[in-house]
Amino acid sequence: MTVPFTHKMAAHCESGAVTALLRNAGMDVTESLVFGVSGALFFGYLSIPMLPFPTIALRNKPGRIRLKTPKRLGVSMQTLTFRDPAAATRELDEVIARGIPVGAQVDYFYMDYLPEYTRAHFNAHYVIVTGKKDGRYLISDTYFPTPASVDAATMQTARFARGQFAPKGLLFWPASIPERPDFKAAVRQGIKDAVFYMVKLPVPFFGVRGIRFFARKVQEWPKLTRDLDHLSHEVMMIAVILEERGTGGGGFRYLYATFLQEAAQILGDPEIADVAKAMMDNGDRWRDVSIAAARMGKRRDLGPQKLRELGAMILERADAEQEIFRRLGRLVK
Amino acid sequence: MKEQEAKAVNGHQLVLYVERADASYGPVQTGSYLAQEFIDDFFEKRERYRLDCLRRLEAGEFSAVWYYLQILGLAEADLAVRVGVGRRAVRRHLTPAGFGEIDLKLAARYAEVFGVPVANLFQVIAAQDGRVELRQERTANPLLTKTRVGVVASGTADAGAEAGR
Repeated sequence: MTVPFTHKMAAHCESGAVTALLRNAGMDVTESLVFGVSGALFFGYLSIPMLPFPTIALRNKPGRIRLKTPKRLGVSMQTLTFRDPAAATRELDEVIARGIPVGAQVDYFYMDYLPEYTRAHFNAHYVIVTGKKDGRYLISDTYFPTPASVDAATMQTARFARGQFAPKGLLFWPASIPERPDFKAAVRQGIKDAVFYMVKLPVPFFGVRGIRFFARKVQEWPKLTRDLDHLSHEVMMIAVILEERGTGGGGFRYLYATFLQEAAQILGDPEIADVAKAMMDNGDRWRDVSIAAARMGKRRDLGPQKLRELGAMILERADAEQEIFRRLGRLVK
Repeated sequence: MKEQEAKAVNGHQLVLYVERADASYGPVQTGSYLAQEFIDDFFEKRERYRLDCLRRLEAGEFSAVWYYLQILGLAEADLAVRVGVGRRAVRRHLTPAGFGEIDLKLAARYAEVFGVPVANLFQVIAAQDGRVELRQERTANPLLTKTRVGVVASGTADAGAEAGR
């Protein structure tokens, strides 16, 4: 059984999967719009027991795009979770047998078509299942250039991985699409959310405060690492997280600039187009942070002075983003 | 980022959002700049650390649970939740003595999280010759793994000839 579906890569798995499903159902949306409407842009410095080393989060909680965007656009989304893996497999088979491409939440680690070096346990990866053939599920994964497949047993393991953001066999697909979605209201709400999380949330390690926190904490990383190789690895991971882990580059800031350019047109507000330019420039400066971190790591040039310089570059991003989001907040008040 | 600056040619494909020549912003599929410039260093560091962990595993300092925890870069708390045991239990299983107390069912849960056959928690398969290729396959029997040994046409003497990573 194969469901007709156009596979296309996207920057991010969740926004990419939601976009592909909405487009397949007949709604003309872009990935950047889907991302922006959900208000997913974020910054967080996370140092928690569930992580082996402190890290940064550049988007809001996984699942937010899948939940917020359809709601704000008036899309009715069918969502199912399961306790019993066998029942989850039966339901998935039934849905694709009805000719419906279905979104599924999986543990990224078990998607064995992806390059081995990128595979890590992350329970909130989203793919679209487009069929089943010879005991293998046909997968459209926005991180992979071509349609892929995984065997049924692996898929079940991936859908029922335990831990943080456990998928619980989650399946989702659009049940109905509105004729005239209210894009203006949705865009406005999405921007308001991002403004709240970036400049109004009173938590020291989230938003612009979180960027400043990160700028300080990165200078303490030598104390947390076992040797120079480890420090080099963790500093280089800053670049990977900002540029490669489904961000569209510059830590989602390029993707968000694209959204703001669309938002300016939808709202008919040229000042938002100005902010889009500032956000694109901000993305470039985040990319400078990435490249500096990657080079420092590769050269093992990780002394206190170099880490201070990296911290200073990050601090500049906090100042720039504070200005950008305050300005955006005034524009959508 | 300008569209022309985003271009990198390699197999690690991704989507970047760029500024096009007409000043509009949008996605472009391209190769990974980081993979192009920095992946060798990543592999070298990872392999050095893996070999160090393997040495300590073989010396009996730690168990296979510790070894896979290290090379997968998992936190103890995360592993505990994924396997369905407490953190103290995981800590106990990091030692050879503590690992010796676990039953086969729990070993299978660890193996599933590590993405390796259960057998690899109890063995290291290493080839004497770089031309030897080892491939492990699942069977219908959940506790049985088939290990195929072959000779590669133009072998490279890398650590690929070792199962149980």
